[in-house]
Formats: sequence, structure tokens, C-alpha cells
Amino acid sequence: MKLLPLAAAMALAPTLSPAQDLVTRTRVGLPDAPNVLTFRLTSYDLYSSDPATREGFEALFSDFIRARPAWRIETQLQTGNIGQEQARMLQQAQAGRGPDCAMVDSSQLATFRDADVLRPMNAVFSDAEVADLFPYVRDAVVNEAGDVLAWWWFTDLRVLYRDTSVVPDAPQTWEEARAAGLTAVEAGREGLLFNGGRWEGTAFDWLANFWAQGGTLVNAEGAPVFDQGDNREKFLAAVAYVQDLVDSGASPERVTSITDYDAFNAAAAAGTASMFVGGNWQYGQLRTTLAPEDFANWAVSELPGPTVDQRATGTGGWAIAAMTDDPAKAALCGQIAKEIYAGPGNALQGLLPTSTALYDQYDAYDGPEFELFAQALQNGVARPGAAIYPEISNQIQILLGDVLSGAATPEAALDAAGDAARAAYARQ
Amino acid sequence: MTTRGPAPADGRPFPWLLPAIAFTALFYLVPVIDVVRLAFSDATLVRGASGYSLDAFRAVLGDPALPQVLGTTFVFTAVNVIALQVAGLAIALLIVRGEARGLRGMAAFRTLVLAAWVVPGIANGLIWQMLFDEAPYGTLNSILGGVGLGPVAWLSDPQMALVSAVIANLWQGTAFSMIVFYAARRGIDPTLYEVAQLDGARAWRSFRSITLPLLRTAIAVNTVLVTVQTLNTFDSILALTGGGPGRATEVLALFTFNTVFYNFDLAGGSVLAVLLFTISAALAALVHGWLGRT
Repeated sequence: MKLLPLAAAMALAPTLSPAQDLVTRTRVGLPDAPNVLTFRLTSYDLYSSDPATREGFEALFSDFIRARPAWRIETQLQTGNIGQEQARMLQQAQAGRGPDCAMVDSSQLATFRDADVLRPMNAVFSDAEVADLFPYVRDAVVNEAGDVLAWWWFTDLRVLYRDTSVVPDAPQTWEEARAAGLTAVEAGREGLLFNGGRWEGTAFDWLANFWAQGGTLVNAEGAPVFDQGDNREKFLAAVAYVQDLVDSGASPERVTSITDYDAFNAAAAAGTASMFVGGNWQYGQLRTTLAPEDFANWAVSELPGPTVDQRATGTGGWAIAAMTDDPAKAALCGQIAKEIYAGPGNALQGLLPTSTALYDQYDAYDGPEFELFAQALQNGVARPGAAIYPEISNQIQILLGDVLSGAATPEAALDAAGDAARAAYARQ
Repeated sequence: MTTRGPAPADGRPFPWLLPAIAFTALFYLVPVIDVVRLAFSDATLVRGASGYSLDAFRAVLGDPALPQVLGTTFVFTAVNVIALQVAGLAIALLIVRGEARGLRGMAAFRTLVLAAWVVPGIANGLIWQMLFDEAPYGTLNSILGGVGLGPVAWLSDPQMALVSAVIANLWQGTAFSMIVFYAARRGIDPTLYEVAQLDGARAWRSFRSITLPLLRTAIAVNTVLVTVQTLNTFDSILALTGGGPGRATEVLALFTFNTVFYNFDLAGGSVLAVLLFTISAALAALVHGWLGRT
């Protein structure tokens, strides 16, 4: 009896031949397929500017849709302006005009959850698969009722890159990082580079210094508390660390103008960089950018902490979530996350999976750097699941710019940031 | 002998104006009214309006960051408006003089200046970000280093960052002023200059007594347009500095953007949009009243 509907669906579904173009700029599947799922994705995979990545995902999507000939995926591309795109998508979802399925930035996941626009994808993911997720990932995607509201399909982290010909030993503490920076400057290189301009990367990279001391940005209600109680001392200590790096010359003053991780790749390629705080994905970029003999000098290590035992690193990444009330579409959305992105998609791009089992499943994760990444992820901290986070980040960016450029003292800047964040929270 | 009959709109212009009024209302007036409505609401980007009050006005106008943002906006706008007029006028006069003397390449020069104008603001910011790069291999600093100058902290120093933002805006905006002045200057009767020449007037005297007075209306119009354009500038600054370091280059339009997309504060952003609109309208009225008198 169960076979009857299936046979009917197969009979009604259009047939796919390999010759047909299954992937276009706006569609995956046949144009006349009866069932439609809208999928809003980023430009980093299926529509990547990198031909190898694009072709790899085209193959994955083609295989996926061949197994589901009755479905057509209408793709909608997000621009690179992540904050604006995600805010617009949230608005659309609330108005019932959002996509059925979408990529959600991990830092925005809490906002989407709070707005109650995500729909469960429980049918797709087993308890064992959920249990295998990293704890901070599981907390972010599973609600109190146990519903899987999104699938965080890759994560990333920040590490310290160093040219071992200038800095042979990995700095473990803030003091060692400062000393290594000064040594590099004496050797004619730039010291420790990090994001210090006005953008999210600045706040996120720096927060590892705050989190390493056990600092928290928001309380249980999601209200900002980063400038209060013990947090205040930890916050100021973390600011003092980067301020001292710049004031001592261990980091160049130009860090307050750095608003892009690519600046570090460029400095490494130009042979002027000695160390930088970068993302794990830059390891592969350096490998393809630098000459093999130059790349051999570069190594990664955990971010330095106030002490050897106090370490943290910010973790990000992207999730896929369903925003449709149609269970069949929500299930297809989960299947896209599971069968295309989490696993094969990770391996294709060298992105870090969020499930420990996947590291053993793919050869792509055999390199020694992945051992370091996996080790550093033990100290991974995700951005707080609070709607006020973007404004806290904004205030930290302003604070660091003012302090590092000498326009404000750390204490005054922290007071201003705390007041501004609380005022914004009160209006949310 | 034939007499001209009444024009179609004589006596009853309203029906003829109706399509234009409807179009304007639909695409311009309705959004403006909605922004004003939102300014009195408690709407956020993730929640619709549930009530109306003056809370958003109180919160935004009482924000300690607002005076700094307004100060930055004033400096950025004032310097740009003056510099855009001077640079635009200088280039326009140069082209007119070159054309009068039959110099080759004037059309190409005009096109070259105009090319900057069609560059999108974001691209403009990115182009100048590369030029101002303070890395040891940064373009401008390398050039300066070649002649024994610099390096200059183009984007990391708060004061220089604002100067850099002005330079980037000037590079892009000069073309617009140039075109306005070029058209106006070409409209001046050449006989006036010939008479002045016969009377022995030097170039400066001709400029002061003929060109400048007859360009008065063009200057007024251009000042209004350039002021409004500059006040609304945010995309090039967003790409160039993001408003930093700190708030050093955060102008009102960028502050509005940040209020909406970082705070999700739609009501607060609407208040700032109303403020921007009011400032633009007031400045336009002021400039028009001052320079636009005939």
C-alpha cells in the first residue's frame, strides 16, 4: 500500500536526463518540477567565484536533485553584506515572505530563534547525529523542547599564524606575544597584526582575550553586562593587552585600519608579516598564495592567553534553517544541510565540520593543522545567543578604535560602550 | 491673421498635473510619511510598531554619540561642499578655456573626470582603501616614500581618516560640480568676455566681474545638490573606514544605517532619517535664499 503513492509520485514526476542543465543561476532541478523549495544561500559554495568549489557543489546539488526528481530548488543569492542581508531576511520571514530554507549566519541564529521563524527539521537528524555536535553548536541549534531548529554545518575559529623563521616558538601568553612582536620588528618585519578597524572581525577576534579570562558579555536574560562586576576588570585587562601591543610597537598603529582578513594574506605574501590573528580558513589560502618554501615557514598555534592555561577562541560559521510551515519542505531543507553541506561540502572546501565523526570520515582533515584546530576548538566560544550582540560588537569596535588611536581612555570608552549597549537593549 | 488659442492646461492645470502628482506621491511621499510614522513608533527591525510616542526621539536626541556624529557630519559636509565647488569650477573653467583655444583632448579630459562619477560609492571606498593602505607596500605611502615623504597614517589616525574620507568623496563628486559649472559657463555670452578684453580687463577681473556673478544661480543650485548628496554619503565611507577608527568618520547617514542594522532600531533610525531630511531641507532653503536671489 505504501508503495502506491510513491509509484504515483514517480509517474507524475518529470524524468531527469544527465544532459539536462540541472543547475542554473536561479534554479536546481527541472524547471517544470511540481514541488518548489526556495533556498537563500551565500555566494561561497554553489555560486562561488572559485571554479573548483563551484563545480564541486554543482555536482553535489545535481546528485541531490536527481534523487528527488519531483522537486525544484529555486535559489536566491545573498550579497556579501551579511548583517543587512540577514536583517532583511528576518523581516521577510516575519512577514511570511521569507525563503523556505536559508543560510543563517551563526551569530544571527539566536535572533532568528527569538523571532520564532525557524521550523523544526527533526525528521532528518537522528539523536546520535545531534549528540555528536560540538556542545556550543548543539546548544545553538536545539531548543528546550529538543527540536532541531537549524543545522550549523561548519564552524571556524581564530588562531595565531606566525612565520617560524622570525618567531620560532609559538607565543603562549600575552607577554610572550608582545615580546615576539618586538623581536619581529627588530628583524625588520611588522609585529603582531590583528583586526582593529570598524567591522565585526575586530570585536570577534578581540573577544577571545576577554573570554579567555571567563568574561561574559550578557546575562541569562540577554542583557549586556560586559562592563559590570568582574567582567569590567577582565574587559579592561583584555583592552590593555592590545593597547600595550600598539603602544610598545609590538603591533603597528595601522591595525586600527585593518578591516579584512585578506590584509594578513597580503602582508604574508609581501614578506612583511611575522604574526597575525587569523581564521583557520586562511591556512589553505596561504598554502595556495605563498611559494612552497615560504609556506613551509608558516605555522599556526592557539591564540595567546593571559596565562598558559587561560585560552579561548571565537567560533563562527553558518547554519541552514527551515522557515516554512510545510513539513515536506522543512525536511528537504534539512536534507540539503545533511547531504550536501555537512560532510561533503565541508570536505570540498576544507571547512571545519561541527560533528566530531566527520573529521574521521574525510581524508581532507588528515593534515597536522586540523589537529591544532580540533584542539583549539576545545576552547571555542560562540557569540552569545542574544539579539543585543550586534550592538555590543559595534560598541567594542568603536571602543578599540578610540583606545588604540589614543582618542579615549579604556575606562571612559568602556563606560560609553556599556551605556550605549544598555540603551540599545532597553529599546529592543 | 491667426490668433493663438488657449493652451490645453489654461485654466484647469490640475488634471494635467495629476499623473505627476500621483507618481510623486506614490514613490516619494508615501515612504517619507511612513518614515515619519515609524519615528514616532517603537518598531524594531524584528518587531512591528505596537505603540506611538516620543520615546524614540528622546532616546536618539539624548544619545551621547550624536553630538560627535553631527560634528563629523558638519566638517565632512562643509569641507566637501566648498572643495567640490572650487575643484568643479576650476576644472570646468580649464576645459572651457582649453576648448576656446582649440586644445586637443579636452573631450577626453572631461570624460575622464566624469568616469569617477559613475563609480559606485562602495567601489569608490574600496579603491581608496587600497590606495590608502598603510602596509609597507601601500600605494600612496610607497609613492611618498619614493620622494622621501611619509608614511602617512591615512586611515588609522582619526583626523587623517576624516581627511581621507573627504579626498575619496572629492575624487568622485567633483565631476558633478564640473558638469553643472561647465554647462553654466558655456551659457555665458562670449561677447561679454570680448568686450572686457577690449577694455583691458585681465583674466582675474573677468572672472570676478563676469563669470562669478553670472554663475550665481548655478552655484546656488550646485551648492544645494552637493550639500544634500554629501549629507547622504555613507556607502563610500562604509567601505573605506566603516566609520572608524572609533567614530572618527561616522557621519549621520552611516550612523542611521548602523542604528537600524546593528541595533535593529527601526524607530531610532527613522528619527535619524527625519533629522537628516530636516537638516537637508533647512540647508537647501538657506542656501537657496542666500545665493539664489536674482
